[in-house]
Amino acid sequence: MEANNLNVIVGEGTCGIAAGSKEVIEAFRKHAPEMNIRTVGCVGMCHQEVITEINDGNGNRHIYGNVTKKTVPSIIKFHKGEGDLPEDQLIFSPDNQDLDKWRYLAHQTRIALRNVGYLDPTSISEYQARDGYKAIKKILADMTPEQVIEEVKISCIRGRGGAGFPTHVKWNFAKQSEGDIKYLICNGDEGDPGAFMDRSLLEGDPHNVIEGMLIAAYSFGASKGYAYIRAEYPLAVKNFGKAIKDAHELGVLGDNIQGTNFSFDIKIKEGAGAFVCGEETALIASIEGDRGMPRFKPPFPAIKGLFGKPTIINNVETLANLPWIINKGGKAYASHGTEDSKGTKVFALAGAIKKGGLVEVPMGTKIRDVLEDIGGGSSSDKPLKAVQLGGPSGGCVPENLFDTTIEYAAINATGAIMGSGGMIVMDESTCMVDLSKYFLSFTQNESCGKCTFCRIGTLRMRELLSKICDGHGEMEDIEALEELTEQIKKSSLCGLGQTAPNPVATTLKYFRNEYEAHIKDKRCPAGVCKSLITHTIISTDCTGCSLCEIQCPVNAITGQKKVKGSYVIDQAACINCGMCFEVCNSKAIKVE
Amino acid sequence: MSQSLEAKVEPEVVLDWINKIGSDSSSTVPLLQAVQSKYGYLPRVAMDLIIQNSDISGSQVYGVATFYSQFRLKPVGRHMIRICHGTACHVTGADRLDTSLRHILNITDEEQDTAENGSYTIEQVACIGCCSQAPVLVIADEVSGNLTGANAQRALKKHAKKNEEIVANI
Repeated sequence: MEANNLNVIVGEGTCGIAAGSKEVIEAFRKHAPEMNIRTVGCVGMCHQEVITEINDGNGNRHIYGNVTKKTVPSIIKFHKGEGDLPEDQLIFSPDNQDLDKWRYLAHQTRIALRNVGYLDPTSISEYQARDGYKAIKKILADMTPEQVIEEVKISCIRGRGGAGFPTHVKWNFAKQSEGDIKYLICNGDEGDPGAFMDRSLLEGDPHNVIEGMLIAAYSFGASKGYAYIRAEYPLAVKNFGKAIKDAHELGVLGDNIQGTNFSFDIKIKEGAGAFVCGEETALIASIEGDRGMPRFKPPFPAIKGLFGKPTIINNVETLANLPWIINKGGKAYASHGTEDSKGTKVFALAGAIKKGGLVEVPMGTKIRDVLEDIGGGSSSDKPLKAVQLGGPSGGCVPENLFDTTIEYAAINATGAIMGSGGMIVMDESTCMVDLSKYFLSFTQNESCGKCTFCRIGTLRMRELLSKICDGHGEMEDIEALEELTEQIKKSSLCGLGQTAPNPVATTLKYFRNEYEAHIKDKRCPAGVCKSLITHTIISTDCTGCSLCEIQCPVNAITGQKKVKGSYVIDQAACINCGMCFEVCNSKAIKVE
Repeated sequence: MSQSLEAKVEPEVVLDWINKIGSDSSSTVPLLQAVQSKYGYLPRVAMDLIIQNSDISGSQVYGVATFYSQFRLKPVGRHMIRICHGTACHVTGADRLDTSLRHILNITDEEQDTAENGSYTIEQVACIGCCSQAPVLVIADEVSGNLTGANAQRALKKHAKKNEEIVANI
């Protein structure tokens, strides 16, 4: 095969870059300068990054995973007809489309993510080649705003940011309200630690989000749009900015789009790091330049929002579904999913899971199917214990409820929420009390401070959880946590406070025995809480390699190099940081 | 904090931002972002210049600067290390990345986040959206994933060598 007829496509989302895509590209340039190289966003198989596709222009595709600069030469050799197929890296080839690795994508139904990983996000023509901007042209030529809203009503799509409010109802509010100017805000702040679908969409398929914004804007008459993007996502800001510029040049953004009297423009506002800005009114305050503090509703933003004008805020993933819905029809979208929840939902799989990444499945899929069939199950030898859904506003679903179907009502019934779709998978090595403490520290930090129960209540909860983790807990503390859970929920103005106690509530519901082990037995079953564990060296297993001594940050480990079993830990100096456990190759460190 | 880390602020640069970005209160966040992206933090001189040369009040500037976690009022080292403390990173050992890097940078005081020689500043961030590669850290602008405490140290040593920085406890 002639190498100069070959195209190399490298996945270069933030996760691809973290895995070393820059070095891989450099290696291709060095070893096969004649090959055409292009980059795409993350296809979602983050566990196999760096992912590289080689195709010959006739549609013959070979996709490889875990590519490094060292394995690039063997891939090039094979495609030049000079070597064997690097089978262990192969994800997909014309001869083998049923590889276990490929099934990760084959099990999914990709609507929002349909282009991510397939197109160069900086190329508007590649987006057009995949039906890009067809939907906005169609509605400008053939559809009234009412018809657009009707189509979205038929699709039954609900907001994918977390709350799940029906999208068409929101638009109708704004459509009916009076205002010389109306705003549309794309919420790309994605404050939930553990969810990264918005990042992937913004950096991997920005035109799709822009087209979604155009559709939404047309439906209720917005002329100005803001894309509020986290500053922690520099690649998303860059790619989205370029996409706005290119869309202007193509004439699908700006004044009198496609010769009609519909005008719409988008400005990027970089978020400055505040979880509370996921709340609509706080986000509006932030764009207005103020501290992101929520305010009482009503008036709802749809009536009185940004700069006092009618404003709609839609999440990135919601918007990314809209062009598909217009092109294929609301019915086609609603044919996926269940009675309660239609369409598909993107999940971000991470934690103790073999195949972490982005997954888009029809609503109604079982949690277990996502974790086992797609995610490949536990990444350690230990069985899975729980999955955390919905981030700091959500809760933990224990393993015995993994047959719960993914739909709004069923998930809510477990005490968790759908949220924006983060799924943090946990095995026995996660301590549920420590996890609750982590979330409470997060919400306590992120509370804007306006409501007393949210400001002080979350602090008190965190203190109680710290007390339990430190081994000073008493059984009354559990009652106090339950009492605070109720009070904070009832007395907070916005979603942050109303949901902040959820991680504690669900872990108390399903893992009360772990709280009790901390309080009654002064023991952390997962071996996480530093005050309740000790690290010791099993002398018969110690090889005397001295790695633990080198790594110990507090010089608590001493021994004689190359003398088996000579190393000991000074318990008084040990801070239980776990560095020795991590570096020991002979599993000689015992954690109790 | 060593005095040498304080940034030298040129007034004309700040005035230029006010001209370009805006001088009303809705420009507070982007103005502070411009200042921070140049100096790595918000120097007092720059904040005063904004207050004196725009319609933005002092309480507005300081209110916003202290509200958002992105902004910092303390000077930074020559390079930033951002350690992700998102949920996935927390359950996969982000704490160990902290401990090991603080150890080799000899940052012992809990209140301190910058190495004595002004080389590196360690910052904890909420989530950089790279959860499937957890735990993750960013040195300067380079993201690395699937780290242990030990290879986080290796990544830092590599960066230090390339940039001729001295790391204390090697």
